[in-house]
Amino acid sequence: MNPNDSDASRFTSGTADRRGERDLDNLLVHVARGDQEAFEAVYDRLVGPVYGVIRRVLRDPSQSEEVTQEVLLEVWRSAPRFDPAMGGAATWVMTIAHRRAIDRVRSATAAADREHKVADVHTPHDEVAEAVEASLDRERVRRCLDGLTEVQRESITLAYYGGHSYRQVAELLTVTLGAIKTRIRDGLIRMRDCLGVS
Amino acid sequence: MRLLRHDLHSLSGAYALDAIEAGAERDRFTRHLSRCPSCASEVRGFGEVTTALAFAAADPSTEAPAGLRDRVLAAVPHTRQLPPEVGVRTHARARRTRSLPWVPWLSGAIATAAIAVAVFFGVAQSHTQAELNQARAENAAISVLLAQPRAKLLTHAVTHGGVATVVLAADRRELAVVTTGLPALPSGQVYQLWLIGKKITSAGLLPPARNGQTPAVLATGVAKGDALGLTVEPAGGSAQPTTTPILALPLPV
Repeated sequence: MNPNDSDASRFTSGTADRRGERDLDNLLVHVARGDQEAFEAVYDRLVGPVYGVIRRVLRDPSQSEEVTQEVLLEVWRSAPRFDPAMGGAATWVMTIAHRRAIDRVRSATAAADREHKVADVHTPHDEVAEAVEASLDRERVRRCLDGLTEVQRESITLAYYGGHSYRQVAELLTVTLGAIKTRIRDGLIRMRDCLGVS
Repeated sequence: MRLLRHDLHSLSGAYALDAIEAGAERDRFTRHLSRCPSCASEVRGFGEVTTALAFAAADPSTEAPAGLRDRVLAAVPHTRQLPPEVGVRTHARARRTRSLPWVPWLSGAIATAAIAVAVFFGVAQSHTQAELNQARAENAAISVLLAQPRAKLLTHAVTHGGVATVVLAADRRELAVVTTGLPALPSGQVYQLWLIGKKITSAGLLPPARNGQTPAVLATGVAKGDALGLTVEPAGGSAQPTTTPILALPLPV
């Protein structure tokens, strides 16, 4: 991977957003200094995908709203710790969002719900396909997912959107632990190359 | 279970997807990442992939709820930001965290009960929609804190009367404070909370008491070695304490 090539915005909508992503990094630097207007701008830019991914993992609208609120306040609180050298602002925020959603899934109180979710996520690929409509980025993500082997695709979507640990994914797909680790990693490498090339 | 180095490398994908459960395995991989630049760079690259997956999950039919924006923006001015990380602290004093004789170490459940009442007061005292939204946002943050399995309850007497009760989530660097029985202050004076460590920073003003109890105040960014302080300040609060603290409660972080 080219380390300079860490602009997540190319997934959002082409060249205009290349500039957009730099703006976002810049906005976050202002947020770190307590600039509330900059935070509003960050909020407006990212609330859609933050809520989207949390909702995808948690399903439940009110829990998703709660976690989205936590995540956005966390962005405000932790902005001084954002380090652009470690990746773009969008990636930083989405990592927080996904982690919080996963924490919620794995917390003891969600144990019961989780049983149901295992049944729910059996057709992750269709779901992804469903969610993918107008947007070119989604189109690109879908195309790249389509380029994976079935096990790669399923293990990535079960883990990322389904909120399952790799051990649970291995169980669901009846594959050994060693194999699932490799499938996930190989799948992500292919996705990275696929998303990066186009 | 012993993991071979090769197995550790192959966990980079699972790590990027947050698919390693919390515990020894994830800790080991996280440590490995700090020593393995190529793994760290691989994980960074995978971060772009997961960002794309996140953006692909944003669906116009499941837009964020309308009231959320107002609630988040109302909470922002009352939420303390973390200080930036300035290198690794190598001189932090070794602290014995369980040796404070007057600190009762109670379960999170008891702490929850102690603060839940105060949280309720916060909502009950809200008169306007904006206040209510803010109280709710703070409650959400406090609920998260109370749900931390290792949250600790600390109580300490305040000089001149009253007791401060603190729920501390050390791993989140957050705490919530309520007080009971503090002497009422003349108008023009307020109680102000402080985090006192290498630097002294305001942790907010105590809201007015109701039935002798103040609604919960959330403070974030608690640093190693900090103590929670309380002083009497002119209305509106001060940038730095101007009177002798009537409470200095060491925080075991």
